[in-house]
Amino acid sequence: MALHKYLARRLLLMIPLLIGISLVSFLISNSIPADPTAANLGERAAADPKIVATFRAKWGLDQPLHIQYLTYMRNLLRGDLGTSIRSHRPIADELRRFLPATIELATAGIAVSVVAGVAFGVISAVWRNRPIDFFVRFISLIGVSAPVFWLALIGLLLLYLRWDIVPGPGRLDPRVVPPPNVTGLYTIDSLLAGQWSTFRNAVEHLILPSLVLGAYSSGLITRITRSSMLEVLSKDYMNTARSKGLKERHVILRHGLRNALIPVVTIIGLSYGSLLSGAVLTETIFAWEGIGRYAYNAARTLDFPAIMGVSMLIAIVFVLMNLIVDLLYYWLDPRLRQG
Amino acid sequence: MRRLFVLLLALSLGVVSLGAASAQDEKVLVVGLSEDYHSLDPSRAYEPGGSLIHHSVYDTLVTFPSDSVSEIIPNLAESWTTSDDGLVYTFTLRDDVTFSNGDSLTAEDVVFSFNRMKNLKDNPSFLADTIASVEAADDLTFVMTLTQPDPAILAKIIFDAFSVLNADEVRANGGTDAEDAAETDTAEEWLMSHSAGTGPYMVESYDPSVQTVLARNPGYWGEAPYFDRIIIRNLPETSTQKLALEAGDIDIAMDVIADQVPSFASNPNITVFSTQSDTLIFLLMNQNPDIGGPVSDPLVQRAIRYALNYDELRFLSGEGANTPAAMVPIGFAGALDPSEALKQDLDQARALLAEAGYADGFTINLEYPDFNYIGTEFGIVAQKVQADLAQVGITVSLVPQEFQVSLDAYRSGQQGFSQWLWNPDYHDTLDYVEFLPGGVVGNRANWTDENAAAEILELRDAVKTENDPGVRNDLFREIQLYEQQNGPFAPLFQPGVHFAYRSDLQGFAYNGQWRVDLTALYR
Repeated sequence: MALHKYLARRLLLMIPLLIGISLVSFLISNSIPADPTAANLGERAAADPKIVATFRAKWGLDQPLHIQYLTYMRNLLRGDLGTSIRSHRPIADELRRFLPATIELATAGIAVSVVAGVAFGVISAVWRNRPIDFFVRFISLIGVSAPVFWLALIGLLLLYLRWDIVPGPGRLDPRVVPPPNVTGLYTIDSLLAGQWSTFRNAVEHLILPSLVLGAYSSGLITRITRSSMLEVLSKDYMNTARSKGLKERHVILRHGLRNALIPVVTIIGLSYGSLLSGAVLTETIFAWEGIGRYAYNAARTLDFPAIMGVSMLIAIVFVLMNLIVDLLYYWLDPRLRQG
Repeated sequence: MRRLFVLLLALSLGVVSLGAASAQDEKVLVVGLSEDYHSLDPSRAYEPGGSLIHHSVYDTLVTFPSDSVSEIIPNLAESWTTSDDGLVYTFTLRDDVTFSNGDSLTAEDVVFSFNRMKNLKDNPSFLADTIASVEAADDLTFVMTLTQPDPAILAKIIFDAFSVLNADEVRANGGTDAEDAAETDTAEEWLMSHSAGTGPYMVESYDPSVQTVLARNPGYWGEAPYFDRIIIRNLPETSTQKLALEAGDIDIAMDVIADQVPSFASNPNITVFSTQSDTLIFLLMNQNPDIGGPVSDPLVQRAIRYALNYDELRFLSGEGANTPAAMVPIGFAGALDPSEALKQDLDQARALLAEAGYADGFTINLEYPDFNYIGTEFGIVAQKVQADLAQVGITVSLVPQEFQVSLDAYRSGQQGFSQWLWNPDYHDTLDYVEFLPGGVVGNRANWTDENAAAEILELRDAVKTENDPGVRNDLFREIQLYEQQNGPFAPLFQPGVHFAYRSDLQGFAYNGQWRVDLTALYR
């Protein structure tokens, strides 16, 4: 099938999927036995029927469920995600404010884990059952099994408090003024504005959280790369390549790694998707106001429009990541291009 | 691949070696705060986090001293008088007060601010329920007329919601004090990034959930504060706050929990301040037999109060916690001394249960929100209640609930036996009348005018309108002695509240209303 047809079909399929997700998240958030009135009004205001009635009317909570849903969908089609009950700000603005923080952190995190994971995986497979292999496997076991809040706190305790080689929590130092908003990514925006010291500060602040966030997926990627490499290394074409007189490095990286990457790409794609949908614990410990904390706070205060907005956003992120992974297969595996 | 490695390595080394930000001459105070807040419009004030900001940016007519809530002192009003019937309050404003934009304060600004707050019909609006009308008699005379005598009114108008805003400036930015302000006022957005107050600081910037920056108000009418800027930084995780304080990146950690207190002891750079909070954690026993079952029986209620080991419960809450003698927290005028609190008396409790016909005990569910409130784990407290009541034959099944779910059931009076907390709405003992029949919390226990004894109803009605402090205190004393023996509540404790700050910081004082007056700090 031609690539553009395939793409068009996949993108069209997103529509029913997103409608389904909106319906499910709407029904789930409305069926829990708690009331946003209690979550958002104070003790006394919630005891005053007049204020409660005003509140319910203002947020459309006095309408039947199907009307609420249809109103939401109608507004959504016009690009209006509604207004947050909690902060009285448009949801679209809030997502635009918090998503870049998560994108920046998730991208740094996935970069760390891809570089470390693939390198360790290859090393470990090539020197199978040697001390270096055991060492790498031990490290990846720690990465996969250590709780993220523990890693984060130990990281802060050692690298920040004891040795002072990384800065404290947050995306920037308290006194550093954020760069003019273009993309919302502080690293990019500070470069665009030519603010080198802000750029440096933003990158410094990314180091520890991205290491912590990348720890789990790098452990995972190491393991997948290792087993996939081991399988490929035993293939006949590896011997063929060697017997052609190619250098061992070329054999391993071009003939071995490229063929071993297909399952790895799946894992990378899914990991990136889940990092992009927010990492509540990491974001909380590092005071990193991203989508994870936004989703958590929205759920905690039953901020329905925010819950809906963030669910849709995360759904879109996952669907797009899956699509990108499929496109990467296409590039990695020539058979798919012909077939 | 190797080139990428080298690049990353070089980048990270380069970055690390460049080190921290350059030294600055500016005097900056950095505060670490875990709670989030969503409105910087003081007329909608309700969140404790926002209070730190409002108190630095706005002023109220009268105020409390920085370290207590037991005395009311002048602020924007230099004096005031009360009519004999307790209905008319006349305030004389200072003549030297200016707003941050240079405008002079007039009584019209006060009228606007009070009316706007009331008409916004937002969370704090109920505080104005007893205010019938407000008017400006002349530029510096503000007159407030009440619907009924309200002994708590001066304490109420100290709350941030009664902050005085510059009427002209707020009007110019969408504000209104009209009756329909709830629908037509649009000034909140402007107030998120600006301020229109008379306080020592102005709002410079607000980055939701990240930080708020306050800058010194150059034309402040009072004594200029020490710091040029105050940065209030959101650090949601208390362990992160602790680390940032130890590293010197923040000057105050607002959310230290009891477990962390001992670890600061050996650090000379850090000073800890601990006291009991105003939060009252208590048991609710529903008066409605259909909902409360056995705990609706007054004898059982009394037995449960005698069965609890208050000392051990308080210990569970950690450092700084204290046990009030009844449903008025320690620190409020007229609260019984903690030494007058009930003591565990298992024989008494068993005798009361036998008298009520439960000699063999009974089984009951204890519902509670499963969360941690300022360091107090509700589940652990509930387990202790379970263990204490087991000693008198009451078998308690714990029913932890998701916070919002539990809150709904609690507020609608559907919980039979539950564990909850109450924070004061305003700092006057009158707020604790809510635990009496017909009050906000009383109603949740279905304790109403119909099923309550005449004795407590009379006390309640008398204290609500009594202006004489001596008589008030006597009435509150009788109410609390009554509560120790009767009624659907058992006080458990007031958890400790802890702050840690860099030891070079001076002028730290705590007060239950705004916690820390940031404007009074200096190095």
